[in-house]
Amino acid sequence: MAVKKRAKDLNILEKLYIPEIVKGMTLTLKNMFRPRVTMEYPEQKFEPPASYRGRPVLVQEQDAGERCVACGLCSRVCPALAIEVQANETDREKERFPEKFEINMLRCIFCGFCEEVCPEEAIVMSKDYELVYTNREDAIYGKDKLLVPVEQLQDRIDYLRNFK
Amino acid sequence: MEKYHSANLSDQRIIDALIAQDPDITIEDALENEMIINMGPQHPATHGVLRLVARLDGETVMSVVPELGYLHRGYEKMAENMTYLEYIPHTDRLDYTSTMANNVAYVMAVEKLAGIEVPKRAQYIRMIVAELSRIAGHLVAVGTFALDVGAVTAFMWTFREREKIQNIFDRIAGARFTTSYTRIGGVASDLDSEAIKMIKEFLDQYKDAHEEFEKLLNTNRIFIDRLEGIGILPKEDAINLGITGPNLRGSGVEYDIRRAKPYLFYNEIDFNIPVYNEGDSLARYFVRVDELKESSKIVYQCLDKLPQGPTMANDAKKVLPKKEEIYTKMEELIHDFMLVNFGINPPVGDVYSAVENPKGELGFYIVSNGTGYPWKFKIRSPSFCNLQALPLICKNQMISDVVAIIGSIDPVMGEADK
Ligand code: SF4
Ligand code: SF4
Repeated sequence: MAVKKRAKDLNILEKLYIPEIVKGMTLTLKNMFRPRVTMEYPEQKFEPPASYRGRPVLVQEQDAGERCVACGLCSRVCPALAIEVQANETDREKERFPEKFEINMLRCIFCGFCEEVCPEEAIVMSKDYELVYTNREDAIYGKDKLLVPVEQLQDRIDYLRNFK
Repeated sequence: MEKYHSANLSDQRIIDALIAQDPDITIEDALENEMIINMGPQHPATHGVLRLVARLDGETVMSVVPELGYLHRGYEKMAENMTYLEYIPHTDRLDYTSTMANNVAYVMAVEKLAGIEVPKRAQYIRMIVAELSRIAGHLVAVGTFALDVGAVTAFMWTFREREKIQNIFDRIAGARFTTSYTRIGGVASDLDSEAIKMIKEFLDQYKDAHEEFEKLLNTNRIFIDRLEGIGILPKEDAINLGITGPNLRGSGVEYDIRRAKPYLFYNEIDFNIPVYNEGDSLARYFVRVDELKESSKIVYQCLDKLPQGPTMANDAKKVLPKKEEIYTKMEELIHDFMLVNFGINPPVGDVYSAVENPKGELGFYIVSNGTGYPWKFKIRSPSFCNLQALPLICKNQMISDVVAIIGSIDPVMGEADK
């Protein structure tokens, strides 16, 4: 059994207050010249790595519109029940598209499950972490806010292909 | 007297319990000589929303009754209505100071139930993240404990170190706290070289930082005078109450599930289990501080031994297929749909699987009836059990020491209230 004696027996010098206080002050002084660990947030922005799970967005191809085929798998897996998809038919090659695609950002917990199960690589997690709204209606993101051109999401898509 | 009549039912229950501990006392007596006060749930020193009702005689605590449940979210019941995969994010929110360890504990229980073999690399990665989150959890515990007894500097320093671990998690899992990193059958994403570099860098500089804050507290006279002999939890009581984790080891019981019933690859790793015999608040502090060092030793060894290979099991009926394959192969696509819609359908039966979390033994008891949803789900959360020691060890202490005792027990209410 690894029972140890705790290092608590103080010698006479450690028992006196004054030298201890001086030691403490020296430490404080030393720390004043250390590099800063905090970030001056609004001026200085945090640049997330590709693995970062920011808000989920829909991938938009250059001319073909969204990749999503409205299979509804993301809305099935979403643990927070944040996604609503309504499918409709189209003449394009994929035949189906989401007529309505809404994510309630107040419910979303940024788990990334929607991205993980999507069979079309149509929904991915972006690097966007600054989400503000002034009322609850604004927090429900429709297709207008969710669609993001594929070029902006390239490094996340590469990350998914390599590491997932 | 008037006041007690108007008190609500739950308050009346607590007051009755307090009075029951000393049958000779009447309410009139209590009002005459003793005082019943509330501590929490909105008290900064109760680490969340713990409420204590204490009966005081002057400044001495005669008895204490903890009231739990302010953060109850019904996680056990919720689990019965979601698939095993969907539940993973909820485990983040149990012990929110060490999310990765919870993720690992949960998926291990499900894998045991469903009989899934996990690749070696994934198991090593799980050990790495679990130990890193043990470091993070203990840093919070030690830091807030020091803060509770008035040492603000140590708190800042431990949080600075912990922040680096959160950044590593950000890199590995994509989120600082809500990691949801493990998956049934493996881990969500492989470690990249950058993440491994970050872990190594962190460990290398952590040694110095650790020594620094040990110097700050271990021989600090105020700190020691404040904690020595406070809140003594005798060995027998600790065992009888079902205390686990650092609190148990602070009472002189050498029990650590990583050694007692090795899981993952802990039997291949060389590490010590710190044990102290005194059982007071200071002993619990020392156990945590020593464990911090042991954990970083474990991570070093895991990094050295980290094998190459897949990070997800290859079991089409139970484990989500790789993304590449979903895009290109019909069969994998069908499995993807089946798994998400109907779950993994483990065989009928029940399983209990426990791991050593920073706070103690975190166990999951799952009963399956063969469908995609658990039939019954029970969480054995260490904080809940550890809190049961409070009435015993707070007795006859000063009211100001109660704060120190709660800090030394280190409960996380997300876990205690479930
Ligand atoms: S985003 Fe993907 S998973 Fe969701 S409906 Fe569209 S195609 Fe299906
Ligand atoms: S990230 Fe998670 S919670 Fe948010 S929409 Fe996707 S599945 Fe739902």
